[in-house]
Amino acid sequence: MDCKHFRNNIFAYQEGLLSAEDLRLAENHLLSCKACEKILADVRVVDEMIHVEKTLEPAPFTSTRILQRIDNEFSETRKPPVITLVRILQPVTLALALVCGILIGSYTARKDSPPAKQASNSTEKLEFLRANLFITDFADEDKNPVTNK
Amino acid sequence: MTDPELIEGILRRDRNAFQYLVNQYQKPVIKTACYFVGSMEDAEDLSQEIFLEIIRSINSFKNNSSLSTWIYRITINKSLNMARKQQRHGIMLRVESLFGHRQGQKEGFSHEPSTCLSDLDEKEKRKLLHEAIGRLPENQRIAFVLCKFDDQSYKQIAEIMKIGLPAVESLIHRARLNLQKYLTPQFSEYKTS
Ligand SMILES: [Zn+2]
Repeated sequence: MDCKHFRNNIFAYQEGLLSAEDLRLAENHLLSCKACEKILADVRVVDEMIHVEKTLEPAPFTSTRILQRIDNEFSETRKPPVITLVRILQPVTLALALVCGILIGSYTARKDSPPAKQASNSTEKLEFLRANLFITDFADEDKNPVTNK
Repeated sequence: MTDPELIEGILRRDRNAFQYLVNQYQKPVIKTACYFVGSMEDAEDLSQEIFLEIIRSINSFKNNSSLSTWIYRITINKSLNMARKQQRHGIMLRVESLFGHRQGQKEGFSHEPSTCLSDLDEKEKRKLLHEAIGRLPENQRIAFVLCKFDDQSYKQIAEIMKIGLPAVESLIHRARLNLQKYLTPQFSEYKTS
């Protein structure tokens, strides 16, 4: 095998695609030709670069990002009614729980404050309201309610 | 999940089908796109558009090819479009730099013929390889990428590219030869000497 023949078949040689006879001839040529040996080294460097490149993988969580994008794009068409119902009920339940919490809290606070127990007539009731609602500027008629109206 | 089941699921907009589609094809889609758009990061971004396109156009899938072949075609088309846009943008940048609006834009291939590949670090080598692949004519690039980075058989490549087997073989051989010439410029001299 001469240089021209070897160089024309260099990729086939590197990829192990030569016939047994051609392989033997190529290896014999390499033993005696420094120039072709140098070219083969270059071919191997590029093959190694391709090999390294091939092992690289996409970043982790890329599939999660793709799925999120798909969800955003197709969310309305794909969501089953149960999920939609849950999405509506969740905030409603939360709001109800919050309102109940506030009511129970304010009821307990009133129960614990002393005027609540004593409020038996209208004046006391007014005092109670003042104390509890922080109202300081009632009209006079409210202070002395007219009973003969 | 079989191909017909997957297609049926995508048509129903079933999330399990979407998940299966992404898990099954995420890697080949991104790895193929990567050699057209130049970087893994850009390919990851582009892959979102590719999957949306697959889902949107699943109606137009005809059973005269396999689903995987069809997905590869969409991937390559989308990637080539993106690459052409990048190229136009690159040309604009170069025109601007010619008129002095931008400084320091590197033009063309960054590999100096005197640089020995073995002296470069992995990152530099990767950059060079991507540049070299980017310089290949489109058909050579498609055949080479599918063969070397996606492990597609010549028959599958022929199907994806809608060409004959000898044409695939020739494209891959010429691509490999051109890569070698780009990366080791002395290779051209060897070949003619
Ligand atoms: Zn020789």
